[in-house]
Amino acid sequence: MNADRGELPDEPPPFLGTWPRVYLTVIVYLAVVIALFYWFTRWFS
Amino acid sequence: MRPLDWAVLAASLLVIVLYGLWRGRGSNTMESYLLAGKTMPWYAMALSIMATQASAITFISTTGQAYVDGMRFVQFYFGLPIAMVILSATAVPIFHRARVYTAYEYLENRFDPKTRALASVVFLLQRGLSVGLTIYAPALVLSVILGWSDRVTTMIMGFSVIIYTVLGGIKSVTWTDVQQMLIIFFGLVVSLVTVIALLPQGVSLLDAMYLAGSAGRLNAVDLTFDLGNYNLWSGLIGGGFLALSYFGCDQSQVQRYLTGRSIAQSKLGLLFNAMAKVPMQFFILFIGAMVFVFYLFTQPPLLFHQAGLRSIQGPEYRVQYEPLEARYQAAFERRREAALGLVEARHRGDAARYTASEAAYRAAQKDLDSARRQGALMVERATGEKNFHDTNYIFLSFVTRYVPAGIVGLVIAVIFAAAMSSISGEVNSLATVSVIDIYRRHVRRDATDRHYLTASRLLTAFWGLYAVAFAGWAKGLGSLIEAVNIVGSLFYGTLLGVFVLAFFFKRVGGNAAFAGMLAGEAAILAAFSLTGISFLWYNVIGCLVAIGAALALSAAAPAAFPPPKPGA
Repeated sequence: MNADRGELPDEPPPFLGTWPRVYLTVIVYLAVVIALFYWFTRWFS
Repeated sequence: MRPLDWAVLAASLLVIVLYGLWRGRGSNTMESYLLAGKTMPWYAMALSIMATQASAITFISTTGQAYVDGMRFVQFYFGLPIAMVILSATAVPIFHRARVYTAYEYLENRFDPKTRALASVVFLLQRGLSVGLTIYAPALVLSVILGWSDRVTTMIMGFSVIIYTVLGGIKSVTWTDVQQMLIIFFGLVVSLVTVIALLPQGVSLLDAMYLAGSAGRLNAVDLTFDLGNYNLWSGLIGGGFLALSYFGCDQSQVQRYLTGRSIAQSKLGLLFNAMAKVPMQFFILFIGAMVFVFYLFTQPPLLFHQAGLRSIQGPEYRVQYEPLEARYQAAFERRREAALGLVEARHRGDAARYTASEAAYRAAQKDLDSARRQGALMVERATGEKNFHDTNYIFLSFVTRYVPAGIVGLVIAVIFAAAMSSISGEVNSLATVSVIDIYRRHVRRDATDRHYLTASRLLTAFWGLYAVAFAGWAKGLGSLIEAVNIVGSLFYGTLLGVFVLAFFFKRVGGNAAFAGMLAGEAAILAAFSLTGISFLWYNVIGCLVAIGAALALSAAAPAAFPPPKPGA
């Protein structure tokens, strides 16, 4: 299988319209999860 | 284990193998055998990626870690979602468009044959060392719990995996991973519900969380910066680099998303992992924390490792053991009383009593921890074993002693499933790299597709048998097992470095990349042998040194380290 670049298109995601928006959602989600875990740690300690 | 447990376990293993064989039918070309004909939907890839990463020992060990040390280990996964985003934006489209079978094949397209060969050999070395341990570590724990020889548990896991992986290739591996991951999810939920149901009357889930938190078992986030421990920063940076290396450069993971039916499907597979992995690890750790609360009211053994405990109960250690056991029991009683006092004070809103009970509770916990440490030291003296700990036995010991019939079989099946999903992924990827990057590239270049398909099957069988045999040999390694585990983490940074060079530094050629890899590896080995830096940081060091050295050499000696030829 030799390099045959450019043949495969990068389809848009099924939601949020563009991939950068999906990536940003994942990062925001991570920030929220960490914040929740931090609150969880503080609350129960 | 009662008859119902055996039935659940046997049925689970049988269904996994039969389902794998059924799903793998029709894998009669090299592309279908190694890449599933690029037909996989995102959800199958996502669950397969998660199943391959979640080894049995991680599952057993993680719950035990929460019991002993709390939930801080979850921070290890904080960098993973960031890595998934970076890989979705870079590696996934690049690998798909290059139409490669392996990540290392791409390195020849981008650099030269020697860089590809070096990366392939590094992968084969690293995975070859770890695959035996992937079987042996859970086989050992299960053998202790089930009372079987570790040879038997190794064989059951090894040969079950070999049957469906050899016959069905990656389709079998991926779909059994999906099934195994669903068994794991179900088993986790049942485990948590069971442990909460086993708490004494009057102790609610919220009470249990306060009790675990007061003993430092719900410490999920630590903001202090420390190179040697799990904290937010080592998780985000070190864990991020490790995840980039593992998911971007390790064929056992790259092969999962190369099977995607499109770039978008592969990206979705990785991004699902980004969203699900951290909560899943949190959930597993939380089960361990609840097991800790269960043992606040039911006396745990001094040590959960039965053989270790027996080694210090003999007449020659009685003088030391009996006072230690008495001290442990007294501390347990004090902790139980204090825990009940804490719950009652919380229910009544009695702040003064709450504070007093909490102080007594923490003091008793310190005594218990100290007695357990002393017990472990006694075992080390009695058996000559270094770094003895019983973390891996805590959860399964709880399951086999206190969990109702049927659920025990399910939890043991979860451990088998987790082990088998990791082993099948590793064996399959080792065979793929052996065929594509070594055999087809350097031994037999122009054979038929059928020839390479047969070679793939034979090499899959070889790596499966090797894993079983290596697991038998690992038994004799004793404390060297830990050293071999560390060896596995010594190569990722260098691999990551060369892929970063390939993706982002278009002016760097093959000679510079090759030299950069060697420099990165030297830096990791120096960090390992000369410093006390945690292994999480080796990936950062190896990657940065490999990139820095390649860039410096390209700039300083362009004649010896030329850029790639145009069009390469």
